[in-house]
Amino acid sequence: MLILAEVTNVAIIGKGLMIGGGLIGPALGIGLVGASYMQAVGRNPEASKFLGQALVFIAIIELMALLAFASIFIVK
Amino acid sequence: MFGLLALSTPPIHITSAYLFKIGPLLITNSIFYGWICSIIMCTLFIWVARRVTVHPQGGLVQFIEAGVEFIRNLVESSFEDKERSYKYVPYFVTLFFFLLMSNWLGLIPGVGESFLKGENPLFRAFTGDLNATLAVGIITMGYVYASSIRESGAKEYFGHFFIGSPLNPLYLVLGILEMFTDATRVISLSLRLFLNVTIGEIIIAVFSYLGGIVAPLTAAPFTLMELFICALQAFIFVILSVMYLAITVNHSTEEHLTDEDITETINGDAKMATS
Repeated sequence: MLILAEVTNVAIIGKGLMIGGGLIGPALGIGLVGASYMQAVGRNPEASKFLGQALVFIAIIELMALLAFASIFIVK
Repeated sequence: MFGLLALSTPPIHITSAYLFKIGPLLITNSIFYGWICSIIMCTLFIWVARRVTVHPQGGLVQFIEAGVEFIRNLVESSFEDKERSYKYVPYFVTLFFFLLMSNWLGLIPGVGESFLKGENPLFRAFTGDLNATLAVGIITMGYVYASSIRESGAKEYFGHFFIGSPLNPLYLVLGILEMFTDATRVISLSLRLFLNVTIGEIIIAVFSYLGGIVAPLTAAPFTLMELFICALQAFIFVILSVMYLAITVNHSTEEHLTDEDITETINGDAKMATS
């Protein structure tokens, strides 16, 4: 009798979904922040001094990506 | 062929490991390296402080002076009242250099997998442990809350959480929720720093594992990126805590404007316009 089904570790699929879903949101968010910053600089070149504040917002968004990355180590 | 030389799995440590015991205290590799870093930092900065002169003389001293100046300008520009900001400058300068040096000293070769005690690395970056960053976060936010209460007064400070009278049940619930949101700043500050440092280490470990025999070549770009990210995270930790402090302190300076002052200014403007 043939054994058709093989036992696989399903957690790997979960890890893949976690990384994929967890990183696409922050990626879009950082893209939006960068796009808005470049748009603002294009309209008013004096706005380029707010790069530090844009980086702060990027760091706030980045925390979500890091949380998703860190939680794959919990799944076994 | 190169695959044979590589390890079977990349060496990844998410948490710090226990090294030895002093009495009832378990000493982890992270705090052990933190002590070494503290000695290095104290020696370096006392050496620098003795060599600060009126005429700039270049070298390492000038770089650290530039860093101090940068944080001083940052704190000054966040506060509306310049005189009030000066007493907060020393703490934030210390915080910035402490986090920057802890992050950078965690990246130098020899920290991590190079020296092992049993299965665990002997050294680990100080900020690569959640306990360390949580301690820094709690001390910083405690300082921020204490300064805000001292600047604006306890009644006014707790009053600004409520948009209306706290006797109204809706405003009471909203105000308590607002207080909880305020308390999560400690966790978000410390988690951000810890995760950035730890995940940076993991990324370097993964890419040196993938490189096999040319590991230095593949890991170098990510190490350089980490140099930048570590400096950025130290800066962001400082700028966020300065902002949390500046919001409440600026709020309390605005309150000092009474209605009479405002009406006087409006009348003055009206006189200017008519004359």
